[in-house]
Amino acid sequence: MSAPPEASLPLEAAVLWLALLAPPLLGLVAWRFPPRRMLLVLLAGASLPLATLWLLHRVASGGLLEGTWSPGGLVLHWRLDGLAGLLLLLTQLLLLASAAHAVGHRRATALDERAFAGFWPLLGGLATALGLIWVAADLLTLYAALELMGLTAVGMMLLPGTGDALVAGMRYLLYALVGSLAWLLGVALLLGATGRLDLAGLEATTEPGAVTGIAMALLAAGLLLKAAIFPLHGWLVPVHASAFTPVSALHGALVVKASFFILIQLWQRLVPEAVAAAWLLGGLGTLAILWGGLQAWRASELKQVVAWSTVGQLGYLMLAFPLLAGTSAAVATLAWQATWLQLAGHALAKAAMFMAAGNLVLSVGQSRLADLAGTSRQLPLSLMTFGLASVTLMGLPPSAGFTAKWLLLQAAILAGQWPWVIVLVAGTLLTAAYVFRVFRCAFVEDAPRHDFRPLPAGMDLIALLLALASLALGLGAEWPLALLREGGLP
Amino acid sequence: MSGALILLATLGTSLLAAVMIFLLPERAFRARTGLNLGAALIKLGLVAWMVWGLSHGREYAVEFPVLEGLPFVLRADALGIMFAGLSSLLWLLTTVYAIGYLEDSPNRKRFFGFFSLCVASTLGISLAGNLFTLLVFYELLTLSTYPLVVHRGTSKALAAGKVYLRYTLVAGLGLMVGMVTLHVLAGDIRFGEREILAELGSGRQPLLVGLFWVLIAGFGVKAALVPLHGWLPRAMVAPAPVSALLHAVAVVKAGAFGIVRLVYDVYGIELSDSLGLLNGLVAVASVTILYGSLRALAQQELKPRLAYSTVSQVSYIVLGIGLFGPLGTIAALSHLLHQGLMKVTLFFCAGNYAEELGIHRIDELDGAGRRMPLTSMAFTVGALGMIGLPPVVGFLSKWYLGTGAIQAGMPWVIAVLVASSLLNAAYFLPILGRLWFRPGPDHGVGEWPEERRLGRLETHAWLLVPAVVTALFSLMAGMLAGMPFSPLEWATRVASAEYLP
Amino acid sequence: MSLSGELLPAGLLVILPAACLLDRYLPRACLAFIAFALLMALAWWRLGAPWLALAEAVLGALLTGMALFHGLGSLGSRSRLPSRDHETRPRHQAIARWLAALAWLALAAGAIWGLLGAGELSVPSEVMRRPLLIAGLAIMVMGLWAFAHHHHLLRRLLAFNVLGSGVFLLLIGLAGQLVEVQGLILVGLVVALVGSVLGAVLLRRLHALDGRVTLDGGAGDDR
Repeated sequence: MSAPPEASLPLEAAVLWLALLAPPLLGLVAWRFPPRRMLLVLLAGASLPLATLWLLHRVASGGLLEGTWSPGGLVLHWRLDGLAGLLLLLTQLLLLASAAHAVGHRRATALDERAFAGFWPLLGGLATALGLIWVAADLLTLYAALELMGLTAVGMMLLPGTGDALVAGMRYLLYALVGSLAWLLGVALLLGATGRLDLAGLEATTEPGAVTGIAMALLAAGLLLKAAIFPLHGWLVPVHASAFTPVSALHGALVVKASFFILIQLWQRLVPEAVAAAWLLGGLGTLAILWGGLQAWRASELKQVVAWSTVGQLGYLMLAFPLLAGTSAAVATLAWQATWLQLAGHALAKAAMFMAAGNLVLSVGQSRLADLAGTSRQLPLSLMTFGLASVTLMGLPPSAGFTAKWLLLQAAILAGQWPWVIVLVAGTLLTAAYVFRVFRCAFVEDAPRHDFRPLPAGMDLIALLLALASLALGLGAEWPLALLREGGLP
Repeated sequence: MSGALILLATLGTSLLAAVMIFLLPERAFRARTGLNLGAALIKLGLVAWMVWGLSHGREYAVEFPVLEGLPFVLRADALGIMFAGLSSLLWLLTTVYAIGYLEDSPNRKRFFGFFSLCVASTLGISLAGNLFTLLVFYELLTLSTYPLVVHRGTSKALAAGKVYLRYTLVAGLGLMVGMVTLHVLAGDIRFGEREILAELGSGRQPLLVGLFWVLIAGFGVKAALVPLHGWLPRAMVAPAPVSALLHAVAVVKAGAFGIVRLVYDVYGIELSDSLGLLNGLVAVASVTILYGSLRALAQQELKPRLAYSTVSQVSYIVLGIGLFGPLGTIAALSHLLHQGLMKVTLFFCAGNYAEELGIHRIDELDGAGRRMPLTSMAFTVGALGMIGLPPVVGFLSKWYLGTGAIQAGMPWVIAVLVASSLLNAAYFLPILGRLWFRPGPDHGVGEWPEERRLGRLETHAWLLVPAVVTALFSLMAGMLAGMPFSPLEWATRVASAEYLP
Repeated sequence: MSLSGELLPAGLLVILPAACLLDRYLPRACLAFIAFALLMALAWWRLGAPWLALAEAVLGALLTGMALFHGLGSLGSRSRLPSRDHETRPRHQAIARWLAALAWLALAAGAIWGLLGAGELSVPSEVMRRPLLIAGLAIMVMGLWAFAHHHHLLRRLLAFNVLGSGVFLLLIGLAGQLVEVQGLILVGLVVALVGSVLGAVLLRRLHALDGRVTLDGGAGDDR
């Protein structure tokens, strides 16, 4: 992965590749010398989002950055547009937050430093993989990055070493591996039909037809599996419930979304007019919203509530497909913005929610919802963070979830696709039901008292900042969305 | 100070107070009290400044884009500032009351934090300049009142919270869908841009009528219009200051205010009239008024009786809106203020009886006038106002409603008013009779359920003063209705300046 | 290239994975897989991709083989896994898996049929194409069947590896010896290796923890 880039924009390309490849190096350093202070981690990584901000500034002023590099006769493509830059920025911020949270988590759980050290290089690898997915513009790089992401994610899931975590990790591994073979078969078909792997070339040369459709179906199957879209979500909940908190946070916030990102990019290029298939995906999203919400409502453990909520929330992203396929430009613009706003808002909120839930569970020492009684008095900050994060998930104002829902509703109404309006309403009510179920448990006053373990203040603070960011994104959506619009629509 | 800055400062005061209260430790009682009162006073001052500025022709507005073609607009117009003034004034008094009421009880930090947030949302609702901004604060109000409703953490309180959420969240969603549809139909509509919908053309009129009722239903839940009122009596389990907040300062008022905005500022009263929407409003309001009064009559406990009385009284506002003509408009707008003053007095008094003497049922009130004379006087003023006897402000509301009904050509509304007033009298006069004319424990008959002797006065001074002050305001607003800046005068100014054809 | 010279390896290419996947005696199944991987290396070499052949031999045969035997506990460890697989899969789980596997196969076969029939392939036709595609499809069928059917984790890992090889063969059969194909296969080999190593290590730890060699109560379907 680390061959030097060969590009026409030397400075920007160098900064980009530095930002992409620095995390594994930092991870190796942290592996050798595990950090003990959150601030240190934040300072070490702070330059990465700054670099991305500079790149975004360049993109905003000069338009798309793109280039190629060729290791051993292959020609690989990358491109950085507004969307990729924003996602890169989001990734880096969330990775930094998780890294800092992980330091506190290790300290609070009194885990052995060496036993936890493996987290750091894996985190670095995950950072590179995600970054590559956002900027890759050919199927080979995407394949490599997708696999790197999957394997580092499995590795992180296994860190707790408990039986639950191992079984969940094993299932995740098998699913991920088979998913990637489905993807590879799809790539093989496309390569056979067109002889190209770069996205721009594929867009130009593929013609709608049975083979393209089947290739897309295989690609989509692999990606849907990795993105845990209903009904292929079976692996997600046990994995999230048993992993370390910062790992679940990252996984729920970013890893599953990366597969969705690839899916929608390919879909828009290969089969933009496949209305029936798009409605099928929208239908899957609907089922995900309903089923995930229902299960979250029925779950008895806090982390399971959060994990099932991820299944449900991913469904909202799937509604983009029917709203993008064969609709007017105005509808597509709205849906496109809504999707990415929803993705970013959910990423921030879900990371915050996992962290807050993890903090609550860690502090109470129990994971069942009923054991949360009295937390509203004892752990107000964690509970407040949980609440702020759930505001975004419910799509209530002021939050990114609300603004995204407004856009989605607007798109659905404008396109006359009323089913999605009903889905959005039902999903919101379900989300409110399971979120307020948690609060009802937390507000109970006449319950036996637990001993509450104090946690490092930074752990709550990081979660709170993420939750606040998801709220601020709701009213401050214009800046990222303007960048998105400039970057061009599908 | 520039217009935008003062507007943001007004909103920011309570937001900042909320944040700082959350940051203070639970035991920092003095700091929290100072913060609460300081913020309330500063906010009241800022609102008063804006009232003065508005009457001198200044503009207060701030906006920024949230999405393409969808701005977040804050703007102080005469109607908004009227509601803002009411909520700031009552917030100050309710804060004083709450500080006394919650003395020594747990979770005060959480209570006052959300209390401030709640009032910040109400202020946001009053200053919102378009439907989107209104919705943002409207939903924020739902979220910030939930912890207050379930404050006691008992299973009854939690159940009430659940019902409250069911009603308000569904209503909020309905509002959102309606607003988005309206946005798709006509783009962003600032309050006051009544011509946009009026010029849409007749092909869109069925859709407009449908949307109107969707939005009315969304606002109607908070305004407790029958049959959407179910949450309000249940929410009575909350502490007394919260009831005051729900019934007088914030929540039901937000719903009624939303209806006012919708009819006067989005659809416009003429379009509403020509679409035949006003008749429906009058019908709904009449049903609500009578139904609420009848249910109030059936209650044996004090707070539920007051709750059903709210259901009925808030609909006077809706009734006034439905009466096409200047007098109806004045009645609606002024009753928005009058009802707040009177109802908050009644709830303060009910809280005082409960705190000082442990009284919850009406038949326990015998002879309480002798034991708590000031509280009982305040209660009497509020109750007489509700019945509509001069010189309390309630009389003015009913007078204008009656004349408005004649002006609008709906004389049968007067029958509703008379019936309602009789019912009001039927459920308030017995209470007054018990207070003043029945012998009670202080006359040596029976004993109070749970007497506590909270202060040197008849009860804790922090509880007594707000009740007396709001009662005085209710009286003064009635007697000095002709003075500048009285509620009636301001309502007349709003009505004649902006809404009359 | 005589017919028999091609038929024998092609036949072996199908027989060896079958042996690997059908054998309940796990060490023998692993040996069969190593032989199969070496044969794959030979195939790559014959197809003019010597580097790929080397990678397959080292990564696919040597290292993956070591990982599998490590998973079995045969490489210098105290607790061995039972050498024989006695697990049977509960019937209700099988249906969804079978449906998924059949859908996969139908899609793949349909697409290949379409590509060959319509002459839409971008790379000009070569002699080796048909046998490669047939062998690839056959291997994929076996891999899918085994992955859907087997319960023992090591056998599922084997199935995954076989399935992967089938996909590689299809890839080269469809797209020829493009440099992109070699890149994809190389990445695929590395992924398969890392996956196998991870899986084997996991299996060992699961076995050491509570003696299990399967995922109990696996829910949902499985692609």
